[in-house]
Amino acid sequence: MLSRYVFRHETILALLLVLALALSANLSDRFFTVDNLLNQGRMLTEVGIIAIAMTFVIITGGIDLSVGSVLGLSAITLGVVWKTLGVPLPLAMVVAVLVGALCGAVNGLIIVKSRMPPMIATLGTLALYRGLAEGISQARSVRGYPDWFYVLGQGEVLGVPTQLWIFGALAIVAAVILGYQTFGRVTYAIGANETAARFSGLAVDRSKILIYTASGAMAALAAVTFVSRVSTTRSDMGMGIEMDAISAVVLGGTSIFGGRGTMIGTLLGILLIQTMKNGLTLAGVKGDGTIIVIGSILILTILISNIANRVRD
Amino acid sequence: MSHSPTLAPQPSPAAAFLRFVRAYGQETAVLVALLVIVVAVSLINPNYLGPTNINNIVAGNAYVAVAAIGMTMIILLGHIDVAVGALIGVLASIAGTLAVNGYPIWIAWLVPILVGVCVEAIIGVLVAYARIPAIVVTLGIVSILKGGLITVTQGVWISNLPPDFLIAQFRLFGIPSPVYFMVGLTIAAGLWMRYAPFGRAIYAVGGNVEAARTVGIRPERLTVGVFALHGMFAGIAAVLFGTQLQVIQSTVPNNLELTIITASVIGGVSIVGGRGTVFGSTLAAIFFSAVSSALVFLNISAYWLRAVLGLLILATVLADAMRRRQFH
Amino acid sequence: MKTLLSIAAGLALMAGTAHAEDVWTGGDSQPTSPLACDGAAPAVTAVPYNGAAVKGAADLKGKPISIVDVPKLIGIGYFNATAKGVAEGAKDLGSVTAKTDGPTKANIDDQITLIDNYITSGVNGIVFAANDPEAIAPVLKKALSKGIHVVGYDSDATPDAREWFVNQASFNGVAKALMDNLASQIGEDGSFAIVTSTFTTPVQARWIAEMTAYTAKCHPKMQWLETVEAQEDNILSFNQANTLMNKYGDKLKGIIGMTSVATPAAAEAVKQTNQCGKIAVTGLALPNSMKPYVNSGCVNGVVLWSPADLGYAAVQVMRAAIDGTLKPGDTSVKAGKLGELKIVNGSVVLLGDPVTFTKANINNFDF
Repeated sequence: MLSRYVFRHETILALLLVLALALSANLSDRFFTVDNLLNQGRMLTEVGIIAIAMTFVIITGGIDLSVGSVLGLSAITLGVVWKTLGVPLPLAMVVAVLVGALCGAVNGLIIVKSRMPPMIATLGTLALYRGLAEGISQARSVRGYPDWFYVLGQGEVLGVPTQLWIFGALAIVAAVILGYQTFGRVTYAIGANETAARFSGLAVDRSKILIYTASGAMAALAAVTFVSRVSTTRSDMGMGIEMDAISAVVLGGTSIFGGRGTMIGTLLGILLIQTMKNGLTLAGVKGDGTIIVIGSILILTILISNIANRVRD
Repeated sequence: MSHSPTLAPQPSPAAAFLRFVRAYGQETAVLVALLVIVVAVSLINPNYLGPTNINNIVAGNAYVAVAAIGMTMIILLGHIDVAVGALIGVLASIAGTLAVNGYPIWIAWLVPILVGVCVEAIIGVLVAYARIPAIVVTLGIVSILKGGLITVTQGVWISNLPPDFLIAQFRLFGIPSPVYFMVGLTIAAGLWMRYAPFGRAIYAVGGNVEAARTVGIRPERLTVGVFALHGMFAGIAAVLFGTQLQVIQSTVPNNLELTIITASVIGGVSIVGGRGTVFGSTLAAIFFSAVSSALVFLNISAYWLRAVLGLLILATVLADAMRRRQFH
Repeated sequence: MKTLLSIAAGLALMAGTAHAEDVWTGGDSQPTSPLACDGAAPAVTAVPYNGAAVKGAADLKGKPISIVDVPKLIGIGYFNATAKGVAEGAKDLGSVTAKTDGPTKANIDDQITLIDNYITSGVNGIVFAANDPEAIAPVLKKALSKGIHVVGYDSDATPDAREWFVNQASFNGVAKALMDNLASQIGEDGSFAIVTSTFTTPVQARWIAEMTAYTAKCHPKMQWLETVEAQEDNILSFNQANTLMNKYGDKLKGIIGMTSVATPAAAEAVKQTNQCGKIAVTGLALPNSMKPYVNSGCVNGVVLWSPADLGYAAVQVMRAAIDGTLKPGDTSVKAGKLGELKIVNGSVVLLGDPVTFTKANINNFDF
């Protein structure tokens, strides 16, 4: 009975996180300060928001490689719609999120209608959306946003970075949907056996389109907080962020083959990666050393978890 | 459609053609796309068909084509390798370092190939026996290789390479040597995968692991073997990649793995598991360099380059999906 | 088939619209100020100090300090050289511990995260080369508000986000040096093309804009064929240069490389196609990477400043700012072995004029 909990992937991950936190605190006395921890929260928001949606995508057995490009295109949309077209900024933010959702919906439609593997479909749209961002922006960045806009990415609410509230709320909602709602069960069912899910009358296609649409919309939300955090819009924003998000989700125990994974796992994965990055830098390890450690942790964690799985069974 | 007479139901020669298209649909689609681009661009600017430009187009992506041979096998098995770009960067740096430190040239060519085989074999073991999904292993390996390379080299370029080492610059009958490597390896690998038992087993395992097991194939061994083979192709690609210029930039080439994977995918692998050939991936690699050359020739603002490439990826694969619907 | 045809149609359509556009140079849209054609020094107007002020910094005058150097990216020759300069500057001063750490690719987010972490770890000063002037500003302002001194080099941030910026050479000075060099080789009516990094890189876009303005003013008959992107990628630069030569044939008389990666790759392309002397290559480049081409006579000359001096100056300026020997309103600053450096535009320390490396002097440099 006990072994079931001890060998759970999330347990292993939580232990690793505690270890990493303890180690970081030990290596630098500046790590365990409220200031630093909250600041780290600010920095993991964009990857975190994307990873939430990516967890759903990967549980269905799919993958969304285009999120980084969707982020870039949404950011450019925000800037261009506001500055060039003169639309009020709040409305421009809504438009940006809608564009992100549209990009996601296109992914979903291509995947569902043409039965193209998600990796290939989103590889194509990765190039397409980034290209659109570059083409529309003509490489000009948009700057000079009003001060209130920066509250989102640089400000605080009740002493906690604004975007951390958003991230927290999204994570809770997503965890509830995935764990306790019918939609969550459909998501797992699709990943476990898509044909069976279809035969049991589940709305497989509609759910998949919805999930990819949500993935696009979340990438766009990340774009809005990103633009607010760095106070400028560039077409190369979010390049490569898909790999960070996928790493976090996979580290969190979501199976790339679908059907298995939890939101808690994804959150632990994100926290572990951010702790390692921050802790190692504070301890004086350079950037290149840090990524070696993170790569090794990714492989080792999954390795240990697999072995634990076999012991448990 | 009136302007595609080849698809109209006609007697024997067309029927034979149809059979061919059915068997090699994706390869044909890429070839047609390549021809369309070449013809269209050369009508606008005949310089596109100049001998040097043709040489540049065919030779320019030869290393991508060679690496895509291995990648095609990996994808056929149902795996993926997102670390191959980083690996090629590391192997090229190893080759260059050996060459400038006075080791015999053949050692400088051979060692990176062996290292490539070893690294990929380790990945293969992790995938086949430790049962870690390939994307996870290779995501981790990317970080390790990328960080490791900068830690070791500090990003210092490798220069003063001995002229004999620069194999990619050799020419035979006016044709650059990478073209021979690309064509030779593609044909060899294509025949091997079609006729050799080991090669055919790749399709069997990719199609259905359990069925393959019942006919006596050991999927784990095969997986490690294919990864090792893929490492060899990555090693050869790295030597070609590293010897094109006088210097080797000792950092990991950006997004090279995406180009290689895209070549394999556009070349027709994996749309319906267990199918696809290396001829398609090589054609796709040539197609890419034709497109990127065409963009310069057509004065298309480079801003739209990525959008055009993305559209092409989607269009080629969608065309294949449509073709399948027509025939099945 | 339908899809394939529509691709072809799409391509043709795009080609059509692209032809209708003006030649895309890749410059930015900010105002330009081309230098006089004869090189007469521009009139200097005194600008009051426009850098930022550090808040509540401890008095570290003469005390040992630790600083971090955050370049745009690590792993390219140029920033290896600036890092060497930073280390040397720190060593000359004796009282400075300097460390270089940067992102592995020129990425705004990685750079911001890194700086943020160093703010937390408690350094006394940050020297940086920004990937984006605006994006880096919030994190630098945060550093200033925590009493950390901030000095830029190579690529500036907005002036209110740093105290001083060490400029390698003025933008219009670089533009003049490059265009004059090229004109002297291909003549006043020659046609040329440019290989740059990406159109999103602010510094390159600025240089190109200044080059356009200067060409229009002083070499009006030279024809700008086009600008192509090649990232900071060796092979891509080489391929792009090859394609340009194939496309324009004899019309193309010169290629300018806007990055230290593109210029040697363009020279290599010219060399491998045996067109040395037929097509002139110039641009920004590190002398070490160009020695084979310059010494063999394939390339006449390239332009750059000393990146090592740039890093060296940044550390010297940092020490002077912390010691209070460099104050708002000063018109020059002492920078160790480099002597007195001029201050222009309120808060910009000028390293000097760009150097043109030719057969005569290239072997005297080692970076």
